Amino acid sequence: MSGNRFPGQVPIWAPGKEPLPPGLTEEDRAALDQQKKWENYAAMGMESCATKTVMAGTMGFGIGAFFSLMSASFAYEDPYLRQQTQVGMNTTQKAGQVFREMGKGMWSSGKGFGKVGALFAGIECVVEGYRAKNDIYNSVASGFLAGGILARSSGPKAAFGGGMAFAAFSAAIDLFLRRETPEED
Amino acid sequence: MSFLGRGGSPNTGGVSMEKIEMAITELDTVTDFFNRMVQSCHAKCISSRYADADLNKGESVCIDRCVSKFNEVQKKVGEKLQARGQA
Repeated sequence: MSGNRFPGQVPIWAPGKEPLPPGLTEEDRAALDQQKKWENYAAMGMESCATKTVMAGTMGFGIGAFFSLMSASFAYEDPYLRQQTQVGMNTTQKAGQVFREMGKGMWSSGKGFGKVGALFAGIECVVEGYRAKNDIYNSVASGFLAGGILARSSGPKAAFGGGMAFAAFSAAIDLFLRRETPEED
Repeated sequence: MSFLGRGGSPNTGGVSMEKIEMAITELDTVTDFFNRMVQSCHAKCISSRYADADLNKGESVCIDRCVSKFNEVQKKVGEKLQARGQA
């Protein structure tokens, strides 16, 4: 079992006798094995379903908060109601109240989008891990389930309709993402 | 299947031709097994539309299962062949 002098030779080594990277000695082998083990764990963790769910939920939260922030500047205002509720406040308190309301809106909108994102990503990862295939049906099924779960409190017909809508939306997005791009020469 | 390199004891007074023949056969077998496994699992699990250089989750799960099944099949067939050879 010599080194890979010929391309295509099967890289089979005796256990414990794999070739060392250049510049390392035999004493470093234990440290190298430890390092490889932790690198494997990190890679497995990054690809795991829990990580994907958390990341999608966080990004969903961010997007929801951002949208709410942007739409707060277009919100309808009733100047008379404002005048009545803000009796006897100075500028700092009024500004504080406005910002608090904005923060509450951002929090609730972020929570909603975060739920959607986490549900969709989590279910898609689980479905893909079960099927062991990577095609569009993972997104469609996960969209249907996520839509159904999000609309579960409105009755079975609404849940079914919501699931179909989310499945169609997610199928459209995935068709766009998986389209055939023209070859670049 | 034991891998080579575990240090055969040379207390028979030298390296015999049979041991060398056995080692060569074992290396050929392992190489063939590895090549067949890579070929078969690649054909089954990886589609020919190369959109990404890394394996995505479905493909890596598929390859894990493929390798495991290939090993199991090889073990079972080997056992049955051995039982048949002894009977």
